[in-house]
Amino acid sequence: MQFNVTIAGRTQRVELRRTATGWECGVDGQPLAADVVEVRPGAFSILVGGQAFEIHVERDNEHYRVHSRDTDLVAAVEDPRRWHGSRAGGLAAEGRQEIQAPMSGKVIEVLVEEGQSVEAGQGLVVVEAMKMQNAIPAPKNGMVERVLVRAGDTVEHGATLLVVS
Amino acid sequence: MFKKILIANRGEIAVRLIRACREMGVGTVAVYSDVDRAAMHVRMADEAYPIGPAPSTESYLRIDKLIDVARRAGAEALHPGYGFLAENPALPRACRDAGIVFIGPPAEAMELMGSKVASRQTAARVGVPTVPGTCEALPTLEEAARVAEQVGYPIVLKAVAGGGGKGMRLVREAKQLPDAWRDARSEAENAFGDPSLYFEKYLERPRHVEIQILADQHGNVIHLGERECSLQRRHQKVVEESPSPVILERPELRAAMGEAAVKIARAAGYVNAGTLEFLVLRDAKSPWGWRFYFLETNARLQVEHPVTELVTGLDLAKWQIRIAAGEPLDFRQEDVEWRGAAIECRLYAEDPENNFFPSPGRITRLERPAGPGVRIDGYVYEGWEVPVHYDPLLAKLVCWGRDRKEAISRLTRALDEYLVGGIRTNLPFFRRLMHQAEFLAGELDTELIDRMLQQPPEIKLSAPLQNVAAVTAALAALMQASPDGAGTRSSAEQSRPPSAASSWKLQGRQRLLYREPR
Repeated sequence: MQFNVTIAGRTQRVELRRTATGWECGVDGQPLAADVVEVRPGAFSILVGGQAFEIHVERDNEHYRVHSRDTDLVAAVEDPRRWHGSRAGGLAAEGRQEIQAPMSGKVIEVLVEEGQSVEAGQGLVVVEAMKMQNAIPAPKNGMVERVLVRAGDTVEHGATLLVVS
Repeated sequence: MFKKILIANRGEIAVRLIRACREMGVGTVAVYSDVDRAAMHVRMADEAYPIGPAPSTESYLRIDKLIDVARRAGAEALHPGYGFLAENPALPRACRDAGIVFIGPPAEAMELMGSKVASRQTAARVGVPTVPGTCEALPTLEEAARVAEQVGYPIVLKAVAGGGGKGMRLVREAKQLPDAWRDARSEAENAFGDPSLYFEKYLERPRHVEIQILADQHGNVIHLGERECSLQRRHQKVVEESPSPVILERPELRAAMGEAAVKIARAAGYVNAGTLEFLVLRDAKSPWGWRFYFLETNARLQVEHPVTELVTGLDLAKWQIRIAAGEPLDFRQEDVEWRGAAIECRLYAEDPENNFFPSPGRITRLERPAGPGVRIDGYVYEGWEVPVHYDPLLAKLVCWGRDRKEAISRLTRALDEYLVGGIRTNLPFFRRLMHQAEFLAGELDTELIDRMLQQPPEIKLSAPLQNVAAVTAALAALMQASPDGAGTRSSAEQSRPPSAASSWKLQGRQRLLYREPR
């Protein structure tokens, strides 16, 4: 199995090969003598030539979050056999964008109207969750195409609040 | 001593109070809303009763229901914790009417100290300096503008009934006042049901230092030193420590502030545990090089009380209960000793990568630090769903060391051991803060965190870690893609303990196709 893994802006080709008793791995064509034990789901103890790593991995939407001691990383993993090109669309700074609720909560105020021009960073909707009110900013300059919520609405995590084009 | 106490709260503070009761041999009665049926405080209490739906206005804020449960369960006393009803004088009044002891200050003292304006007046009466500003609620915008002109801009508008930054606005010049006045009033009205505002002169880079006091029913009032709470984000404290780095070299300043706090508490007829907040500023003319102003009182046990517990060795929650039961303090001011340094981080369910948005949800993984000098006051467990209805505090991580340096190194180590999966937390933010130069130097102010967050985080990534992280992410993706394929174990099967024969054990050397790179 081959994967292209991008961490901190650097993409590496990772090869994993199953053997009778475990796995062999390589990075960018170089073998990596890694002794990997999954101590519990998502938690790996890894020894590389005696150097010890404790790595936790967690899936987060399209990415994996990788934690090691004082380092928190986001990894994009691409299986070249499955995906050709990027799946990303929602976060591109170009074109039509759906603005989604970053958490479940209650819409306190809609700050813009349909047809209104907005600048990147301008507050669009105020959502309250866990006693905190947060203004959700426009990700880019554009025009509010549709407003899908009203003040007082309860919204779920990921619900589309409005569309900016 | 009481036989049974009702804990009128949830979350980590309910757990903290249950622990105190358990140590004292006092029975505990928990209350819970519909979403808290499986919460830790319900699991730990001796008895637990439902008090309504998730919204706190229909459950944890319902005085009638709390009193009803206390009566039916036969609880002799009620502890409000912090937040919710802790500083609402209607609760001690309702307790008094029902013949239940309220573990906290009497309603009258709470009213006096809880009102920022009244407590400022009290301070002025006993000769403790307060921040220049109004000592009473401002009747109109015109009056506010007139007085602001006299005191001089910049000023900070504050809610008379307020706290936690709600109803608070910084006004740098006169023309900003009308908008700020309107916004602050509506925020105060929404948050506290009272739109009244007062203002204070805005002080540049003040340090927030608060004094913990204990007052028994026999007229003994003592202070337990200070906690510095200058590290804030959006006016919310996130890190607290004792001793304050300012006071460390100046024990006379601690004594002077402690004495001021005790004077104010006495004048207010205060009983039980309380905290008096001060602003501390550099001032070459002052005898210690620093000057302090009384700011406000918190008539309750504070979130950050463990910091004081670690440096004084006193259990504040237990003392609250003893005082309410009528016991006198069995030590004097001169018996209080401070040892070492303690620092607390407030662990919140919020996403530091996404503007600190709240991040409720199910906790899928929880690894807690342990070892010397580490204390965790928390309430979450693996499988617990952090509800969206309440504040996002998950736990407080508090570390003690023989000095500030050791406390920081323990905290840094403990933060590295801490892991919360399934939801986002501010742990990465704290890990970053532990390396921030001003923090390490003890040069704290309320804008330090904002300045730090304006800089992009530095990613320390060694080549070996990059390789290992990439391999691990790929393994996780492989498991995700074919959980049962290629002979790998499914997610469910993986929950069993690892064994040497685990198919996920990648035996290095002998089984590698490749040779080890050297």
